[in-house]
Amino acid sequence: MKISWFHLMPYRFLPKDFEDKYRSVWVDVPSHLFEANKAHQLYNEYLDELEFADEVGFDGICVNEHHNNAYGIMPSPNITAATLTRRTSNAAIIVLGNSLALYNPPLRVAEEFAMLDCISGGRLVAGFPVGTSMDTNFAYGLTPATLREKYYEAHDLVMKAWTEPEPFAFNGKYNQVRYANIWPRPLQKPHPPVWIPGGGSVETWEWTSRMNYVYCYLSYSGYKRGIQVMDGFWKEMDRLGVDDNPYRAGFLQLVCVSETDEKAKEEYAEHVEYFYKKCLHVYEGFADAPGYRTIRTLKAGAVAQLGAAANQKRQSMTWDDFVEQGYVIAGSPKTVTENLRKAVEGLRVGHLMVLLQIGSMPKDLTMKNTELFATEVFPEVKGMWDEYEDYWWPEPMEQREVAGAASAAD
Amino acid sequence: MTTTQQDGATLNIGGIDTAVAVKGNGPPLVYLHGAFGYRDWHPFLDNLAENFTVYAPLHPGFGENSTVDDIDDILDLTLYHYDLLDALNLNAPAVVGHFLGAMTAAEMAALRPGSVGKLVLAAPAGIWLDETPGADYYATPMDEMRAILFADPQSPAAKALLPEPADDLERGTQIIERVRSLATVGKFLWPIPDKGIKKRLGRITAPTLIIAGDQDKIVPLAHAQEFADRITGATTHILPAGHMLMLEEPAKFAAEITTFLQP
Repeated sequence: MKISWFHLMPYRFLPKDFEDKYRSVWVDVPSHLFEANKAHQLYNEYLDELEFADEVGFDGICVNEHHNNAYGIMPSPNITAATLTRRTSNAAIIVLGNSLALYNPPLRVAEEFAMLDCISGGRLVAGFPVGTSMDTNFAYGLTPATLREKYYEAHDLVMKAWTEPEPFAFNGKYNQVRYANIWPRPLQKPHPPVWIPGGGSVETWEWTSRMNYVYCYLSYSGYKRGIQVMDGFWKEMDRLGVDDNPYRAGFLQLVCVSETDEKAKEEYAEHVEYFYKKCLHVYEGFADAPGYRTIRTLKAGAVAQLGAAANQKRQSMTWDDFVEQGYVIAGSPKTVTENLRKAVEGLRVGHLMVLLQIGSMPKDLTMKNTELFATEVFPEVKGMWDEYEDYWWPEPMEQREVAGAASAAD
Repeated sequence: MTTTQQDGATLNIGGIDTAVAVKGNGPPLVYLHGAFGYRDWHPFLDNLAENFTVYAPLHPGFGENSTVDDIDDILDLTLYHYDLLDALNLNAPAVVGHFLGAMTAAEMAALRPGSVGKLVLAAPAGIWLDETPGADYYATPMDEMRAILFADPQSPAAKALLPEPADDLERGTQIIERVRSLATVGKFLWPIPDKGIKKRLGRITAPTLIIAGDQDKIVPLAHAQEFADRITGATTHILPAGHMLMLEEPAKFAAEITTFLQP
C-alpha cells in the first residue's frame, strides 16, 4: 500500500467566534481576517511539514488547489510543488490537482506539470479535479452548466499535448489553439499517472474507469461513511467489467496519533474541532451552484458534506463523536493501526492519503503526529495489498539530480 | 388562431421540442417567461388573453423533457426565438418578457428591428451596476427564495408559488426545479448578467414599455432605468411590487400592458 501525506494549508488564526460572526469560510470569507505576516509563517512551517513527511518515509506528499478559502490558502499548488521538487528527494509529488477548466488555455497545466515532472525526475502524479462549485463557479466565475464539458475538453487538450509527437491544431468549443506544442514535455512516458479527485458522482466513476485513472474520494467525513460510497464505486467497477485492483482508488483520512488514546484527545481535540467547526463552515448557498451537479446525480441523492444540514450537525459534534463516527482515526499507535486496517480493507483503497496537520494544529504537534505515524503505524500497515501491482504510481529516473550548491560547480 | 380555453402545442424548433401554451382572442402576444413562476398558466395571462391571443412558450431547459444543450450563447438563443416566431406564423407580434425573457425579447428587437411589433420588458435582466448589483439568486438557499422574489414573502401569491414543502419529497422536487431553471438561466447570465446588451439597446426601434417593481431585489429599479435610458422613446411604469410583479399585481400588470399595446 502507498501512504501519502496531504496538506490543505489551513489558515490557523481564525477568530474564536468566526462561525458565529461570519457566514462562510469560503467564497466571501472576509479578507480583513487574512494577515500576510502570519501567512509568511504558515507557508514556511507548512512546507517544512511536507518536507519532513518525505524525510520520514511517506510514499508521497499531496497538495491541492482552492480559491477564496481560509482552510486552503493554496490557490496555486504548482508553486508549492515546485519548492518541494527541490527540497525533497524520494516522495512522489502528488498535485491533486489543477482544476483544468480554470486555466486559459489549459495548456498551462500541461506545461507546468511537465516542468514539475522534469525537475523532480519523474516523481509527479497529475491530479485533475473538476474543482468544487465554490472554487470554479463562485470564486472563478465559470458557468455551472458548462463547467464539466469545459473540463473534459481541457483534459483532452492536455492529454493530446502530452502525447502527440508533433505540433497540432486544437479546435475546441472552449479552446482554440492553432499551434499546440508544449515545451517542456513530461519525463514519464506516455505521461505521469493521473488521479481524479471526486465527490462521489456516478458519471466521474464511469469516466475514470474508462480512462484507466485512479479515483480519489476526498471526503472529510471519514472512512465509515466513505465505505458506503466506495462500495458503490467498486460495484460500479464490477458492473463495468473492471478489475478490483485496490490501487484504482484513493481516499483521504484524518488521523491523530499520540502515546495513548486519552493523550490524543488532550492534544488534538481543539484542532479537530477548529477544522470541523471553522474550516468547514461554508454558507449553504455556495455549496452547490445550480447546474454544478447533473440532475441525475442530484436524484441519486449524493450526500453533501457542506451546506446547512451538514454544518449544523458538525457544530454540535465533539471529539468523541468525530472519533466514534470515524471522521478522525485517533488514539495510541495500536488503536490507530487497528482502525486504519479496518478502514483500508473496508474502503479497498491502495492509495491512502492521511491528513496529519488538521485545522489549527501547530507545527510541533504536526511533526509529532507525522513522526509517530511514520514510525509506529506505517510499518504495521504498509504491507497491505502487496499482492497487487500499482500501475498508477510514478516511475522516476533511477539517478536523479538533487538541489546543488549555488556557489560553484564541483 | 383564437381559443377560449388554454390550448397547447409542441413545436420542433431546430431540434428542440418546445411546448407552447395558447389562449385568448385578438392580436398575437408572445410571453417569454423568466427564471421563476414559469410553470403554470397564471391569472395575469388570463387577463391578457381577454384582449390578445397569448402564446406562452416554455423556454428550452426549463421543462423535464427539453434541454438547452444546443443553445450556447445569446446569439443562438435569439436565433432560436426568431425560429419560434416563424413556426408560430407570427409576423412582428407584441413580445412581453420577464427577466431572462425580457432580455431575450430586447435582443430580438435589437438584432432584427421589425421582428418585434411592440416590446414590453418586465424586470429585464442584462445590466450590471456596481452600486446596485441585486441579490445573488444563485447563492440563495431554497427556503430564502421567497424573500428575494416577492415584496411581501408572506403574501398569498408568494405562498402559492413556493409553498412550504410538506415533506422531503416535495422539498426535493422544489430543489430540483430550482436547479434546473437556474442552471438554464446561468448559461446566459452567470456570473454577472451583463453580456453586452447595453451596446445593442440603441438599435431597438419597436415602441417599448418597461415595467418594474419598486421593491425588486433581483433586478433593482436602477437597472430598469438603465434600459429606459438606452432605448429611444421607451416609457417606464413602476408597480408596487417585487421581482414577481406579474404575480403580485396581476391586474395592474395586465392593464398597463393592454393599454400600451392598444393600437
